[in-house]
Amino acid sequence: MQCVSVIFLISIKSFVLASIYGQTCSLDEYIAESYFKKYHSFIEREFDNFIANKIPLGSYKLLEDKNLVTVKSISRNVIGEGSHRWLSSSMSLKFPHELKRELTASSCEVVVIERLPSGVFTDPFELQHFVQRGVFTDAAVFGDTNLELPSFRSNQTVVEIHMSIDSKVLLRDEDESEVILKVPLHARYQPLGHGFSRVEFGAPNIFTCCSSTEQDVTKKLCQPIPTSLIPEKKASPLMWEIPCGNKEHAAVVSAVTFGFAISTALLIVLTSVSYSRQ
Amino acid sequence: MAEITFRSVLLLSAVFRVVLILYGEWQDAHMAVRYTDIDYFVFSDAAALMASGKSPYERSTYRYSPLLAFLLMPNSFLHQSWGKFLFSASDLLVGLLIHRILKLRGVPEKLSTYSAMVWLFNPFTFTIGTRGNCEPIVCSMILWILICLMKDNPIQAAFWYGLVVHLRIYPIIYALPIIIILDPLCFQHSKKPALVQWSFRTSESSLDSSSAEIIGFWNFFRSLITWRRVVFGILSGTTFLILTGLSFYLYGWDFLHEALLYHLTRTDPRHNFSIYFYHIYLHYEHEFSILEKLISFLPQFTVQLILILRFAPDLPFCLFLQTVAFVAFNKVITAQYFVWFFCLLPLILPWSNMRLKWRGLACVSVWIGAQTHWLMWGYLLEFRGKNVFLQLWMASLLFLAANTFVMINVIRNHAFCPLFKPSSSKSLKDD
Repeated sequence: MQCVSVIFLISIKSFVLASIYGQTCSLDEYIAESYFKKYHSFIEREFDNFIANKIPLGSYKLLEDKNLVTVKSISRNVIGEGSHRWLSSSMSLKFPHELKRELTASSCEVVVIERLPSGVFTDPFELQHFVQRGVFTDAAVFGDTNLELPSFRSNQTVVEIHMSIDSKVLLRDEDESEVILKVPLHARYQPLGHGFSRVEFGAPNIFTCCSSTEQDVTKKLCQPIPTSLIPEKKASPLMWEIPCGNKEHAAVVSAVTFGFAISTALLIVLTSVSYSRQ
Repeated sequence: MAEITFRSVLLLSAVFRVVLILYGEWQDAHMAVRYTDIDYFVFSDAAALMASGKSPYERSTYRYSPLLAFLLMPNSFLHQSWGKFLFSASDLLVGLLIHRILKLRGVPEKLSTYSAMVWLFNPFTFTIGTRGNCEPIVCSMILWILICLMKDNPIQAAFWYGLVVHLRIYPIIYALPIIIILDPLCFQHSKKPALVQWSFRTSESSLDSSSAEIIGFWNFFRSLITWRRVVFGILSGTTFLILTGLSFYLYGWDFLHEALLYHLTRTDPRHNFSIYFYHIYLHYEHEFSILEKLISFLPQFTVQLILILRFAPDLPFCLFLQTVAFVAFNKVITAQYFVWFFCLLPLILPWSNMRLKWRGLACVSVWIGAQTHWLMWGYLLEFRGKNVFLQLWMASLLFLAANTFVMINVIRNHAFCPLFKPSSSKSLKDD
């Protein structure tokens, strides 16, 4: 009951805020979408500010004083080999026992917003394929979505993935559950260097969101996961080493490439010219 | 051994393709690695956009003519596999056209059937159509153009040529040999040009060809402008311009950038079979100078020009060599480009003196070996994350060497046979 009143209060607050800012509640599907509508390009600090302050303006509202679903621990990893890997976030969730029924009725999900460094990208069409197969409820990429540019010509992207917390999990007796969210990643061509180029991942924003319907308007109530839970970037940096071209090869490679092209072309020309049509 | 009829070969190929398409559906639904070509999803998305009245270019990486998206519109309202059936049907049509061309050139039934089987049962080609790649459509158009030319129908040939260049650009390299072959010496008023029959390939053809060469060459400069050449040029150019103009009118700069300019200016720093990929990657941070662009264009251009000048009268042979050379010296090479010459390969086999034992097998294994070797380094780079750029680039050099080896062997063992018989010297007055 207390939870419902909090939801109600927050929705009034957001309505008032929206009126003050002269905006009606937009029904953005994604948290990051509201940011990109306003800022066009990704700037880390602006984005942090936005997450901290501006979310209540959209259809998303931050729930600060009441816990719906809490996250007990998170571990993050880059898994796989080669140019196609996964950024995996494994979270152990805890549900307040008394709210289970409400949580089952309103669909709850984990929302992860990853800021990808410019050396890697995620393919929006591949994400859609996962959405179609029901792995994610929603997924979108914001920012630089040109998949084919090498990293020195591309910018950072932001990926937002929604994964529903299965209602079956909530119906079980346990109050805890493990959710693993894997974002498929692909390496871009790296700037030239020696051997490998190191790509480091920053901390994500993770929310647990539950939707509620009031006066025929569906709102999502979101709660950020305390950053203290997210593994420290400095203590255990999450990184990926991607092979890169060696600048010292440049002179030899260019000379041999053109020399080889010219000689093979010459061979074909000579064979054609000396060919007798007998 | 029971006689293999072409009809049964075609039927078997059709059943085989249907089974592969159905298998592909199963693999897509059950396995992590999909059977369907990634481009097929791109085509399908673009077609769905078009069906809903939007621009197909809203789908990023859609880099084809809007006609392709139009052809695939039934994907969104009939069945998602519509395109695969369409492409595989074109793939079968290619087999049929190969057989037809060889019959027209007087190749015995058995040899024509065996040659067509080189296309129909080539693992490269049947997987490409069933995985949803559009190249078989382009191949069938190229072969149809050849048939139109052989049947003295330059108007239809010109229409299809304009269309195919609009669709895929690369057949522009065939313009010059086609113009050369529309030789007034071979074409007379109200008379179909005589095709040189396969059975004459060793005896009289050498005589014919030498005269064709002297007169043809002389003629090429003397009476460059003839009725057929002008009609072909104007009509194919007009078809190309109308289709391209219409696409531009409908989809604007998106179309021009994605479907045309992208292919003309494409330089890909990501690894591919081309010898240039590592050079491009190493210099990607600065723009290429005109001199560099010219140097890399020169080998490709020279080889094309010489092949045309030497072999144009034997049109199928000339087109085959041109395509192999074009792909081998290109700045970007992907496996789907190989289909461009695979559809022409059966057209030259009956004129080759190369025996399968052992020179033929040597060519096949050198080509496949060099490619497998490249794929191994490609796998280590892409799927194991090893830094093998240098080795991969060397494998590309080896692959170009293999292509050159095959081309040289094919040329040296080919019995030159012009497509048309020069009628007589009096035909100079024609046109």
